[in-house]
Amino acid sequence: MGLLTNLRDSISRVTDGLFAADEPKRIGIYGPPNAGKTTLANRIARDWTGDAVGPESHIPHETRRARRKENVEIERNGRTVTIDIVDTPGVTTKVDYKEFLDHDMEKDDAVRRSREATEGVAEAMHWLREDVDGVIYVLDSTTDPFTQVNTMLIGIIESQDLPALILANKTDLPGSDVQQIANAFPQHETIPLSALEGDNMDEVYTKIAEYFG
Amino acid sequence: MPHQCTTCGRTFPDGSKEMLSGCPDCGGNKFQFKPAGATEDPSADEADQASGSPAGPSGSAVDPSDRTPPAPADEPAPDESAADRRPSESADETPNEAAASADSASEADGTEQIADRSDEDTAQASARSEVVSPDELDRASRDVEPADAPPAEEEPQPGIDALRDELNDQFESIRIVSPGQYELNLMELYDRQEYIISLQEDGRYVIEMPDAWGIQDE
Ligand SMILES: Nc1nc2c(ncn2[C@@H]2O[C@H](COP(=O)(O)OP(=O)(O)OP(=O)(O)O)[C@@H](O)[C@H]2O)c(=O)[nH]1
Ligand SMILES: [Mg+2]
Repeated sequence: MGLLTNLRDSISRVTDGLFAADEPKRIGIYGPPNAGKTTLANRIARDWTGDAVGPESHIPHETRRARRKENVEIERNGRTVTIDIVDTPGVTTKVDYKEFLDHDMEKDDAVRRSREATEGVAEAMHWLREDVDGVIYVLDSTTDPFTQVNTMLIGIIESQDLPALILANKTDLPGSDVQQIANAFPQHETIPLSALEGDNMDEVYTKIAEYFG
Repeated sequence: MPHQCTTCGRTFPDGSKEMLSGCPDCGGNKFQFKPAGATEDPSADEADQASGSPAGPSGSAVDPSDRTPPAPADEPAPDESAADRRPSESADETPNEAAASADSASEADGTEQIADRSDEDTAQASARSEVVSPDELDRASRDVEPADAPPAEEEPQPGIDALRDELNDQFESIRIVSPGQYELNLMELYDRQEYIISLQEDGRYVIEMPDAWGIQDE
């Protein structure tokens, strides 16, 4: 217990990360609430492991704790790439229980959800600092990508030199605008997809293997 | 001393590096926020009761069951017992006696705040002492008068507001606008080593140090 064990663990984790090239990379799935992170995580996990990662919902902040699926083996061009995927809570700068009241939620539940969501953002930011080797950044392509949250997170990811893929999700919807996302983050590759329909997942897997393999 | 180990009660100044790898005294890795200016004065107890009404309804909404233990468990009950206690106890106690009884009194309050695995007493004592009356805040800022007068019980609202302000000053990563409404400073959250596991409406929170927490698999 305690200090020394913790220190030792963290040191060995750091050295593992540095020297064991074949350890699976831990890929954080990040993005604003409701972008489709969990839908994507579930699709990846189902495609390659048969399991799901967590519940999806049209109500924002469905994911309020980071969830991890380990040893997801993705096969691309005769090569197998193993990653751990971490589905994180949607990141935002404001959480207001009132937005949940529209979803037929009692005030008590809405307040609790909002508190948990806030804790979830703290957890997501913490993971970004300490525990991910790469990022899949998911955006809802029907919404404006020029937000403070996106700018700040992409900035942090860049400052950490983390490999990052930007996914323009929900291309099945009429208002989808992939180009706007590509314009917002020209320094990164933007891949269109529909995590819900499974459209363009082949390219997503190819890029995952390329970036995080 | 804004942070306190929930296991042994040791306190740390804000920004202290000492606690980053666990409490040097007991190895504990859960700390809670303790605004500067909080005192062991029993009047803090009354500020706590006063804050019970605005914080209560939302506080009771905390569901610790799906959280990393130990998570805070808020129960409405302590509020009632605290209210019962007040007229008899605080009325006829001298400040010293009141201070001596603060520990037992804190038990009711403490359970309201922290359901910890061990050493509940210290955690409770700190939970109680976190809350400052408006009077104390005032005094602390002028830092002259001794804290012997009873607090202004008739003004509970400024107390929670002052506390919130103070918390927001010291802990800028999460601003509690009102119960259930938060503003987050992402950069600040990212920069902080420690990981917040639990927020409470009255300005308390419990944080956990990096190596101690795990995440749910699958
Ligand atoms: N039309 C469409 N809807 C999608 C797509 N991907 C996700 N959704 C829907 O968008 C909503 C949010 O999806 P989630 O996967 O829960 O979103 P999230 O990013 O995990 O959200 P938080 O956990 O709240 O941060 C759900 O109703 C999904 O069904 C997509 O490609 N197309
Ligand atoms: Mg989710």
